[in-house]
Amino acid sequence: MSAVEATTWSQRFGFGVADAYNLTRRYVLRARHQPDVVIGTLLLPIVFVVLFGYIFGSSISVGGGNYRSYLMSGLFAQTMMYSAGSVAVAVSTDMSEGVIDRFKAMPILRSAVLIGRTASALVVGLPAFLVMIGCALIVGWRPHTGIGQTVAGFLLLLLFGQACAWLGAYLGVVARSAQAAESLAMLPSFVLGFVSNVFVDPARLPTWLRVAAEWNPLSAVVTAARRLFGNESGPASDVWPLAHPIPAALLLTAVMFAVFVPLALRGYEREHG
Amino acid sequence: MAEFAVLADGLVKRYGATTALAGASLHVATGSVCAVLGRNGAGKTTAVRVLTTLTRPDAGTVRVAGFDVLREPSRVRARIGLIGQSTSMDELLTGRANLEVIGRLHHLGARAARARAVELLTSFRLVDAGDRLVKTYSGGMRRRLDLAASLVTSPQVLFLDEPTTGLDPIARSDVWQAVRDLVAGGTTVVLTTQYLEEADQLADTVVVMDRGRIAASGTPDALKRRVGATRIQVVAVDAPGASEVASAVEAVVGTRADVTGRTVTADAPAGVASLGELIGELGRRQLAVEDVGLHRPSMDEVFARLTRRPLPYPTGRGAPAATAAAAAGARS
Repeated sequence: MSAVEATTWSQRFGFGVADAYNLTRRYVLRARHQPDVVIGTLLLPIVFVVLFGYIFGSSISVGGGNYRSYLMSGLFAQTMMYSAGSVAVAVSTDMSEGVIDRFKAMPILRSAVLIGRTASALVVGLPAFLVMIGCALIVGWRPHTGIGQTVAGFLLLLLFGQACAWLGAYLGVVARSAQAAESLAMLPSFVLGFVSNVFVDPARLPTWLRVAAEWNPLSAVVTAARRLFGNESGPASDVWPLAHPIPAALLLTAVMFAVFVPLALRGYEREHG
Repeated sequence: MAEFAVLADGLVKRYGATTALAGASLHVATGSVCAVLGRNGAGKTTAVRVLTTLTRPDAGTVRVAGFDVLREPSRVRARIGLIGQSTSMDELLTGRANLEVIGRLHHLGARAARARAVELLTSFRLVDAGDRLVKTYSGGMRRRLDLAASLVTSPQVLFLDEPTTGLDPIARSDVWQAVRDLVAGGTTVVLTTQYLEEADQLADTVVVMDRGRIAASGTPDALKRRVGATRIQVVAVDAPGASEVASAVEAVVGTRADVTGRTVTADAPAGVASLGELIGELGRRQLAVEDVGLHRPSMDEVFARLTRRPLPYPTGRGAPAATAAAAAGARS
């Protein structure tokens, strides 16, 4: 039995899609054998919702509205961001093992390994996201718009999660070890996560932090999600990304893709070992 | 099909100040087995990486399976298999799932990939373990699975980088058998190894690498004749006595003796006959020794002798046999 070689462009495209699909499938399959990891990712969002919802909820107020209604979109988006960490660790582990060399010596789409890692993070993370939405509903969060806008809100969050996953893939290919990748990924998660409007209204921050929080892609995504869900979005802001959150969220997410996809692929091509 | 499955000439690869390949050339006839023998750091793995499209050489030309590796890497990749030093199988998948993934990545389609996985599990005696996670496999089983995975589609040229390093003798002979089966099917095999025995068992041609160069090449028999000469070894009672012992040894065997501390060694092509003669000679010279014996060279000595540069010969009795042969080999 010999290898099937693509001869036409359409065949090549079809093979490329198949390669990306097959590697995604491979990484999803292996997650089934790591139930402990999957359970860990399910618990974290529950802890988040309860902890932040009630601890911060009892002491922070935003424009007199319901804080948990304000907070929940932020927690959704922040959870999406944590995919950066898991992808970074996974990719750097791949890079340090023999498996990447085998894939590189096979006639498959060059970007298929990273697409597989980022896309599988989405698939594997989906149950955790659903659990989190369930928790949010239990503590009283509700979308107040139609089904269309609500779905659009969730899709926007997932898209942002993929952009973060590519940031993670980039950190994974440049890190020298899985531990280094993990701590590298912590930094943007923390900085972007807290210097934002997830927990507080940025208007109250000192100027330099306020500007950073207002232009943080996470803030735009969170504001856009709040608006799509018809939730409490805090006092109105006239800064462009927060005044036009939906185009801003799409644009800033697109910028993240445009920066991190090529960087990650270039890092992947570079020689390791 | 091309006459040579691998045609590499003048390969150079530098990593910063280290030169991994310093003008190495390798020609492997289609359907043959070539063993690249060398110490750690000799450049074996870099050579394999260049041949398998993973590393771009700084200089040199290289064709594998009839295609230029630098110009048409994807055509080369469709025709080769690679088994690196570390296993490339996913620990968290079953053996069967690993093989199926590889089949799907070769675009066999889900059904054919499943069927091929079953065939391979059978022929590599992994049927019982097929549905267990690879993390429960022994080293030998992993290696067999690695081999099976590179045979999902029949590659024209298979590269094995130290396939048996760290395996127990039984697992090693399993791998050897698998390689022989492959060759019987017409696959060209290039393997790197640190073991002379492995090269001897499997290879049609052996290439000895040292410091990024080809130090010698030839059939295993030719190579063994060069390096495998029986050595005579005498341990003197003390270090000053060793030089007198050395001159007795040289008088008997006719080649130069090496002295290390109290130990004197020299080539003894005549073997046991030389040993008898030497004992007589030591008696005549009234030299007391602690131990006298014959031994075959260890791997370290083989490498040392094949890669030694010709030195001015102090005692004037002709160059050491191994060095002369290696020089001749390098010319051929």
